[in-house]
Amino acid sequence: MYIAGIGIVFNRGRGLVNLEKALIEGWVKPAPAYQVPAETITDKQVLKEARRADNLTKMATIAAFDALMDSGIPEQSKEKLGVILTTAFGPHVTTFGFLDDILTYGDAGVSPTLFSHSVHNAAASYIALNLQSRGPTLTMTQFADSFHQAIILAESWLKEKRCEYILVGSADQIGKVMEYICSRKLKPALDGKIKPFNCAKEPESIPGEGSTFFLVADNEKYNKYGSISAMPSNNKKNDPDLYILDSDGMCGDERLYSRLAKNKGLFTSYAPIFGSMLTLSSFSCAAGALMLKNQKLYACPIKENPHNFNILTKNETLSVHKIKCLRYNCYQEELIIQLEMKNF
Amino acid sequence: MPATDVAITGLGAISAAGNNIQETLDNFTLGKRNSGPITLFKTGLNYPAFQVKDFTLADPAAMRSLNLTFVAANQAIRDAGFGNGFGNLRLGICLGTTVASQLNDTDFYHQYRTQGNAPMNSVDRFLKSNLAQSLSQYLKIHTNFCTTIVNACSSGTDAIGVGLSWLRNDCCDLVIAGGADELNRVPLDGFGSLSVVSKNLCAPFDRDRCGLNLGEGAGIIILEKETICRNRGRKTSLFLKGYGLAADAYHLTAPRPDGSGLEQALERALKEANIQPNDVAFVNAHGTATRDNDLVEGKTLARVFGPKIKFLSTKGFTGHTLGAAGGLEAVFTCLALRDGWIPASSGFQNLDPEIGVAPVNQKTQISGDFAISTSLAFGGNNSALVIFRS
Repeated sequence: MYIAGIGIVFNRGRGLVNLEKALIEGWVKPAPAYQVPAETITDKQVLKEARRADNLTKMATIAAFDALMDSGIPEQSKEKLGVILTTAFGPHVTTFGFLDDILTYGDAGVSPTLFSHSVHNAAASYIALNLQSRGPTLTMTQFADSFHQAIILAESWLKEKRCEYILVGSADQIGKVMEYICSRKLKPALDGKIKPFNCAKEPESIPGEGSTFFLVADNEKYNKYGSISAMPSNNKKNDPDLYILDSDGMCGDERLYSRLAKNKGLFTSYAPIFGSMLTLSSFSCAAGALMLKNQKLYACPIKENPHNFNILTKNETLSVHKIKCLRYNCYQEELIIQLEMKNF
Repeated sequence: MPATDVAITGLGAISAAGNNIQETLDNFTLGKRNSGPITLFKTGLNYPAFQVKDFTLADPAAMRSLNLTFVAANQAIRDAGFGNGFGNLRLGICLGTTVASQLNDTDFYHQYRTQGNAPMNSVDRFLKSNLAQSLSQYLKIHTNFCTTIVNACSSGTDAIGVGLSWLRNDCCDLVIAGGADELNRVPLDGFGSLSVVSKNLCAPFDRDRCGLNLGEGAGIIILEKETICRNRGRKTSLFLKGYGLAADAYHLTAPRPDGSGLEQALERALKEANIQPNDVAFVNAHGTATRDNDLVEGKTLARVFGPKIKFLSTKGFTGHTLGAAGGLEAVFTCLALRDGWIPASSGFQNLDPEIGVAPVNQKTQISGDFAISTSLAFGGNNSALVIFRS
């Protein structure tokens, strides 16, 4: 399926212009987590229906809106637009806010607004409401596999003609409780650097947040950034021009990545740009799609490379046709999403 | 693309209506409603609920939702004749839930809030309770098609719909699909705060209905390509023929008053099944017994299928089991088609003139080969499945 539009909200702003700027600029020390600045999600026009929503919903609503706008698809039939949102942890900040209500005011004193926003599909519902899209709208969660599964479903829906276009994307957020849990369960990168090529048994991580959406369609006329597809984990054929590794420290032991070092092709990872997220794959895909479109490659933000991967060391203009975004999930299963240039 | 025929070859269910299929059917026949006070957790709210009884957790370290899933999945797998394993079939697992997707442990959060730290066992329990992932590990299944749907109260129906898509796109040969959810303090308090929980036993579609009762359970079906089913010498009479999903794009908690979202979901499901509304023998409705849901759903069913449509809600037997509801109700729809009868829509007594149509109020024989199961959810999700008996 073809990518017709991309929307992104991340710690360094909103939109592809800010994404490219961040990719060119490289690593900047996060302070202390990769949090989306409040001013990034204050678009009153886009968020007019989501005034009372939490940041997860706001990030997702903006990213989805931008992806649709970027696609240039004009007055699309709202019934032909599907929405697939994937999230690893959902609106946990709102859920903990609801627990605050229970603990402070008792079972009968809780906020109905907090409750209704604590369900995982609240964000997708706001997207549908904002865009007035009446097509299939679904939210799914599968930790590190989340975005991979969303791409599989989007491909299925398009083949079945359940929709003509789909906004498929991810959203995850950070919050105090989740940061505490990450600090207990994962090894924090005290120097502020996620090191994707260290392939460590106990990799270091720094939590991130944001949302990315892709407007995808089956029809080639919507091809703006190439094609995107989820690959079976046992597909070893065809080394790509570039691997983007999602080794961000979120899934524990990363030693398995070291076996990729012998593969042909260049390697990069933008975890040090976006932060550690189980839905990082969607952000990597946004970076990859931008590179295909621009035929430019952006250097690895962190260049520590003890296993001698053939990593991208500088920003350069280079022909690139195929990119594989690769992650090993928490069960050491390989997840690949392939991006391919298709004659823009 | 010609639609692949998808057979339903196994059914499993656990809820307050029964810990297995036969108990459930017996209670449906008797009209027995196994409600009572909640004993799973402390609450200051005094609402009746439909709690699963006589149920031993297979894995006490995992969430109750996952344990309910194990029970229903084992039943369905055995029913489908896969008690000794799946051989070389390409498998998928797609399950819906609400509670099991949330880290909402009050004790954990209380300790974190008061002391600034908390033990990680609650987090570990949450992390190991992703329904699809954990069931795949429990069954020792390796698959690329494994996901958990979190579409609020339509999650179970949507999980089955996703399974249908996987099979029709030749991703898998067989999919374990359905939903599970446990009784939990967060939805109890949340629905209570929305003033949609009844202090009495729920009465779906009744004139005097005053809200839902919460329940818990799991409903799992085995979806299988018909060719696979035939090749292994298995006969089945049940098929999943269509799935429709549509968004209201209206409100986070209220259904679109004109019912057009549900109507679109129904139209899509009927179209996919290549049938007309008058081919439908009955509808197993969402029927939560809230004022808004039942009004919109009842009027929409009457509009789409005509005033003589036979319909019911089984939530009078199970309570509203949230992410499990779609799975359980798909199982119940299959059973009704298989056995040729539907139970009384428990709790219903008086026609609501605003709705204008009444559900069946006694055990009713059905004729016809197609049935529909609907789900409506927070956020304006509307889903429908078409099930066929050959």
